[in-house]
Amino acid sequence: MTEPLGRVVATERKPNTPHEFHFWTSLDSPVGIGTIVRVDGAHPVEGQIPHIYGVVVEGFSYTDLLSPMHDVLSHDGRPSNAGFAVTERAEIRLYTAAVLRQIPEEPLQPVPMGEVFLAEEEDVATALRMDGYLKEGANTGIPVGVYRAGATDSVIYLDADFLLGPEAAHLNISGMSGLATKTSAVEWLLASLFAHFPESKGSVAAVCFNVKGPDLCFLDQPGKLEDRDREMYEKMGVVPGPFENVTYYAPYTAKGFGLNTLRSNEALLHNVKPLTWGLREVLQYAEVLLNKDDIDAKADAMIDFITERVVDRRFDQDPYLSREHTVQSFGDLENWFRDLLRGMEKANAESWRTHHIATIRKVRNRLSNISTRCAGLVTDTGDVSDLPFGSFEDRAVYVVDVATLEEDAQDLIFARIVSKLREHLERRDLGVKHLVVFVDELNKYAPSDGQDTYVRKMLLDIAERGRYLGLVLFSAQQFRSQVHRRVVGNSGTALYGRMDGDELATPGYSVLSPATRIKLATLEKGQLMVRHPHFTQPIFVRFPRPAVMQGRDGAEKFPQATDVTLEHAMYRSLRTVDPAVSMAWIKDLVSLYEEGELIAARNAALVAKPSNVRGFFESRLRKKIPAQPAFNSALSPREPISARSLPDDDPYGL
Amino acid sequence: MGHRPGVISTRDRDARGSWPASAHDARRFILDRLPGSSPVEGVSAGADQYGRADEPATLVEPSVIEGGEFRAVRVLNKGEPRGQSGFSGFLDGTQRITIVNQHEGIPIVWATVSAAIRVRVNRRLVSWPARGPSVQGRFYLPLRYVAALGEDVRNDARVVDTAEQRSGENIPSRHPAALMECAVQKVQNDRERLEQELAEQWCASEAGTLYVDGSITASAVSSKSSHAVGVIKTHRRLYADGDAFRVLVNLSAGERSSVFRVSPRSRFAVASWYVRVREARGHDALFGLVRVEAAEVDDMSIRADEISRWIMAEGAPLALPDGRWDKMAYGIRDTEEFLRAIS
Repeated sequence: MTEPLGRVVATERKPNTPHEFHFWTSLDSPVGIGTIVRVDGAHPVEGQIPHIYGVVVEGFSYTDLLSPMHDVLSHDGRPSNAGFAVTERAEIRLYTAAVLRQIPEEPLQPVPMGEVFLAEEEDVATALRMDGYLKEGANTGIPVGVYRAGATDSVIYLDADFLLGPEAAHLNISGMSGLATKTSAVEWLLASLFAHFPESKGSVAAVCFNVKGPDLCFLDQPGKLEDRDREMYEKMGVVPGPFENVTYYAPYTAKGFGLNTLRSNEALLHNVKPLTWGLREVLQYAEVLLNKDDIDAKADAMIDFITERVVDRRFDQDPYLSREHTVQSFGDLENWFRDLLRGMEKANAESWRTHHIATIRKVRNRLSNISTRCAGLVTDTGDVSDLPFGSFEDRAVYVVDVATLEEDAQDLIFARIVSKLREHLERRDLGVKHLVVFVDELNKYAPSDGQDTYVRKMLLDIAERGRYLGLVLFSAQQFRSQVHRRVVGNSGTALYGRMDGDELATPGYSVLSPATRIKLATLEKGQLMVRHPHFTQPIFVRFPRPAVMQGRDGAEKFPQATDVTLEHAMYRSLRTVDPAVSMAWIKDLVSLYEEGELIAARNAALVAKPSNVRGFFESRLRKKIPAQPAFNSALSPREPISARSLPDDDPYGL
Repeated sequence: MGHRPGVISTRDRDARGSWPASAHDARRFILDRLPGSSPVEGVSAGADQYGRADEPATLVEPSVIEGGEFRAVRVLNKGEPRGQSGFSGFLDGTQRITIVNQHEGIPIVWATVSAAIRVRVNRRLVSWPARGPSVQGRFYLPLRYVAALGEDVRNDARVVDTAEQRSGENIPSRHPAALMECAVQKVQNDRERLEQELAEQWCASEAGTLYVDGSITASAVSSKSSHAVGVIKTHRRLYADGDAFRVLVNLSAGERSSVFRVSPRSRFAVASWYVRVREARGHDALFGLVRVEAAEVDDMSIRADEISRWIMAEGAPLALPDGRWDKMAYGIRDTEEFLRAIS
């Protein structure tokens, strides 16, 4: 039997209650803030010896000294003399623990006097009520970390029913930036989730928005682990390796040559896909990009009209239009607007179908501007390359890299992807039953103050209703106090890394003891405080380094591709579809065709992934007969005269 | 009507063979066994109230055994570190006296006496592993004046008769104060006996030196052993008459007096000397003054210097907030606090 490490004490001034008790220990005991202890009562209650489990939330140390002056006098005012004192003063280590659980749970009584023991693994499971969801055959535990105290090394599990729903859901992580907490914790937790999510509960996948730097850009690459990390992985039953099924999505750069992502190294392009949307995809979320000043009731009605009556329809027999229009892209829309306005101006008309010409001009201006503001994401041609809605795969991670995009484009991507995910989950045809959406920098997307944005409304919607659909929000931010209360309040599980002192001074943390707050302000890398519906008090755990390459390491090992020429951009991207594509062929095409036409054809090929890339590609280009170089008998036949020297409008090279 | 849950009846307690553990228990115990007695609430009696305070303050000519005259000897220079102490343990005893009942004017006293040795391990004080603290709870009452008390109690060894007749002594009267003086004296004797037992056991088994709070002259073993040193803080009797008195009151911190022999009546002779532990300037003449008792040895000067330096070393940390901090070693305060906690 283990030896007690402390004894419960209570005085009139510091009594024990059903939710808190005090105990003292020897000076060298391994107890600290966050340590879980067990009290064995001395007297049975209704025939049962009470066992009380608590977590240490405050510690006191003092001697029998009444005044600091006494110590000064003891040592003649010289601190160095203290070392010569033959005896050290009697000293106490007194701790306050918050009750985690009492057994029996009824009648709920103040904590009795008794011996205090360091909680062992079994005690930890009981104290945190993990015994309820770690049952053989009905195990829904997801390891979140390891609790360590003294010789106890105990895995702490979250309940999948309370992490991914339906009982509760969502997870929120707070912590200072740059201390390897938020992103690392999510990477680790996703690995743990994928390894332990019960098969009986169905499939699960994750969509991660990479909003800053290269944080999530190397999830499929192995990271550096130390032995102690591997030990933790082994203890928690998770294979320490990178994610096996990761796909990256990123829009093109404004020029359209390459993808706008930090994961642009040629060696990693095999699973990087373009994210491009056309008019149809964007128009539904125009509200995201257009603020209230842009859209009044009249403009809104005009946009609705365009969405319902113009897009994807044959539009003819209009007195102001000079020809028939079928609007399928921003380019088509611009032509339609131009034709309509020209017709109205000619006829000196002030309105068209109840829409005033000024409103039409305004809507044209704002909508046309979208493709400029979101260049690379929104295409004029209407080509669409999207996440595989409907065929999401189990245990797959889909990373949408928006780190280097303008804010408008980020908002649009976020709003549309989350809406689509929600639609598919409602219809149960996403491909997976549960989906985790990870969003960092929640301070920015769902702030507690500021105007009500479309993105914030969506986040609130996920937080409040997502768990019924299987749509789970894993969110992170530096300052929890600055995030909308309904978003963090609906997160059943909350993780805290090292916190800023100012943040800890906000009212949201007043429920924590001063000692717990100090511990939060000084947490090491790899330590977290966990709040979970089953845990009546926050628990401190350690988690291993994620087994994936960290953003900084990845950026060094796989440096971002420098600005490439059109030829190289096309060569690199088309080779991911057909490795047989040659540079010479691409150079020939570049010499013949315009940049925009080539980019459109390239984008279409990447979306369609045809078996015959060259054939498909050439079919998308206007027919041209390549100029035959004029050979000079004096020159080597291997040195053709450059096609670039030919006039642009002379396909025959004459 | 029964007792509230958790309250153990006296009958049940007797069935378990339990003796009162507190003054409250003792009060109930007597109420059950002495018909007609009435409880007395909240009356504690100290030695000062019923005994030693009345001891006359006297000056005694010291019988100097070191050199020819009573003089001051410096053992620690001013500003010099207090140095190391050779004391390994500290012995002290406490007593708590409470009048729990009265029966036709006769006070019935319950007293707890305790004694313990605390030893120093890595500069921290812990209970002496060889023998834990001794705690005794006893009734002190004049049996001849409480005839109604049952035989079982009268014959219990834990009941002390405070009115027994000894050869050459008068039977105490029924005067409550006289009976209280007798009770207090008996309690003090019991406490001294406990302390004495512990000190003798220490001397028989330990190689280190024991700091005894109080005199060691009551024990033949302690008074002859080099392993026990008595340190007396109260000075109703001062061994410094005439010129010696001037020397004594002018001792500076770090000085001791010459060694003299103390031979109390019906006790054992020891060597003794005074040490000024703290500077008395600005205080009364006895501030920081202790009298040391040790077994006589051949070279008493060297031994007295050594022990005096140890006592000086024990001056830190201070025994505050105890009111006797100027004379008390921290180890003794610790032992008193320990006994207060367990008794």
